[in-house]
Amino acid sequence: MPRIDAHLHVFTRASSEFPREISDVWPAEREEPVEKLLDEMEKHQIDQAVLVQMAGASIANHRYLLQCLKEYPNRFLGIGLVPEGHPNPVDHMAELTDNTGIIGFRFSTFGGPRDIFAKMDVREFAAYPIWKCAAERDYVLWLYPNAINAHLLPYLIQAFPQVRVVLNHLAVCPGKGKFSWDAFGRPQIQVTGYNLTMHTTYRLARFENVNVHLSGQYAFSTEEFPYKDLAGWHSGLLSGFGAKRLMWATDFPWILEEPGYGKLTTVIEELLPNLSEAELADIMGGNAKRILRFPDL
Amino acid sequence: MILPTPDQKAQWEAEGYLVFENAIQGEDLKRLQNAFDYWAEACKAEWLDRVEAGEAVATFYDIPNPLEKDPVFIDIIDYPSYYGALMEFTDHDLILLGPQVRTVAPWPVSYTGWHPDVGHSNPLHIKVQIYVNDVEPGSGEFGFVPGSHKPDAGPYKRPMRQESMPGHKTFPGKAGTAIMFNSCGWHVSMDNHSDTPRKSIILIYEKRTPGRIGPEQFASISDYCQTPERRKLFSLNG
Repeated sequence: MPRIDAHLHVFTRASSEFPREISDVWPAEREEPVEKLLDEMEKHQIDQAVLVQMAGASIANHRYLLQCLKEYPNRFLGIGLVPEGHPNPVDHMAELTDNTGIIGFRFSTFGGPRDIFAKMDVREFAAYPIWKCAAERDYVLWLYPNAINAHLLPYLIQAFPQVRVVLNHLAVCPGKGKFSWDAFGRPQIQVTGYNLTMHTTYRLARFENVNVHLSGQYAFSTEEFPYKDLAGWHSGLLSGFGAKRLMWATDFPWILEEPGYGKLTTVIEELLPNLSEAELADIMGGNAKRILRFPDL
Repeated sequence: MILPTPDQKAQWEAEGYLVFENAIQGEDLKRLQNAFDYWAEACKAEWLDRVEAGEAVATFYDIPNPLEKDPVFIDIIDYPSYYGALMEFTDHDLILLGPQVRTVAPWPVSYTGWHPDVGHSNPLHIKVQIYVNDVEPGSGEFGFVPGSHKPDAGPYKRPMRQESMPGHKTFPGKAGTAIMFNSCGWHVSMDNHSDTPRKSIILIYEKRTPGRIGPEQFASISDYCQTPERRKLFSLNG
């Protein structure tokens, strides 16, 4: 069974060939290219990976991702972005998925009522056309919902049960103002001691098309690797979703310095020590291969 | 104080729950509903801001510090219709741990799955859930597995769907109904597929153990606790 890193990012220097947005963390001259990723994968026996677009959502911003997918069609699948407020997201998505290796798109908002007590008509959600398109064209939706959006998800999932959904990073829904970067250049999300997602995203386990990434531990934990304070979150996800709907990922490149790619390839064994060999193999790649339809190597 | 009947005692032992229909009624119920609605509305905007900030659960909310907001929330802690049973089952050594004055939104999925609250090594832990509005079937009613509070019951496993729990019973009821249950037992809020929020108050009690609740916990309502019985219930000094 292949070992698949189900969520990570690569980018190159900003240039006219590969335009991208810049920030303090990814200035124009910084690069975390696919070759560096392939080295790490080789060293740690990881066969395939999902490359997730970052640093811009325009078509042009996707050029480096598209090149990587073209160059290594058997190694990678891609997840794209849609500019917020795009007047025609359906055309944008179609252009990016025309035999490119991009299989879906990442979102954090759904454009529905902020108040869970409001009348809910899913057809009025801003994201409705995107989900409809995903259902028609078999896109995967890669979701990292903002906390105020989490309650909207089951309405969309109910409306489109055929859409494959992957909840990123332990199904956490980051709160407004709770994001920062740490000394190692890694995203940090401040979360409450009581796991609020038990009452939102964890409750989506009954929908068979919903899957969850076991990743991003470094961003939520108050401890160093292996992030034992999150063991309960992992076992909660395992008991809710089962071993067939969980996918391991590293969130490369943020983890390269601390704890390092190699250590993260063991994080599932550390946090879920009672998994059977078959369950571990599923989480480490079998599920990603089946759910995301990775090509045979 | 209304003590439980022999039948009620037998049911409590065997099944781990009791239902008190019309436990609160008439003017007392209206007073409770008015206070609930007033404070739920007053606290909602702040709760939503906290949801957005990732500091509060998105699928239900509790009125913060309800005992300080209206004395009606204090008066239901030792309300006669169920207080006698609470006292009897804890050998007249009862303490309050706290209230949850809770509004649960209609949502495609219940906000929680089947679970017990405590293990069998815990001192007797009892909850009383009081419906503030009518709770119809399919609108977030309480569910319980009779007998699941016993040490030799089970093992139980949380099913994907609430209605798939073997041996469970659901408890729709009119406003003013109180359901008392042993928190070792497996329980849940059923899905709410209606368009009506479920308004209820969950009172949490335990058989007293030394130091479980300090006198500072409920000191802010000390003026409302003048009798020795109430001071003991609220773990207040003197």
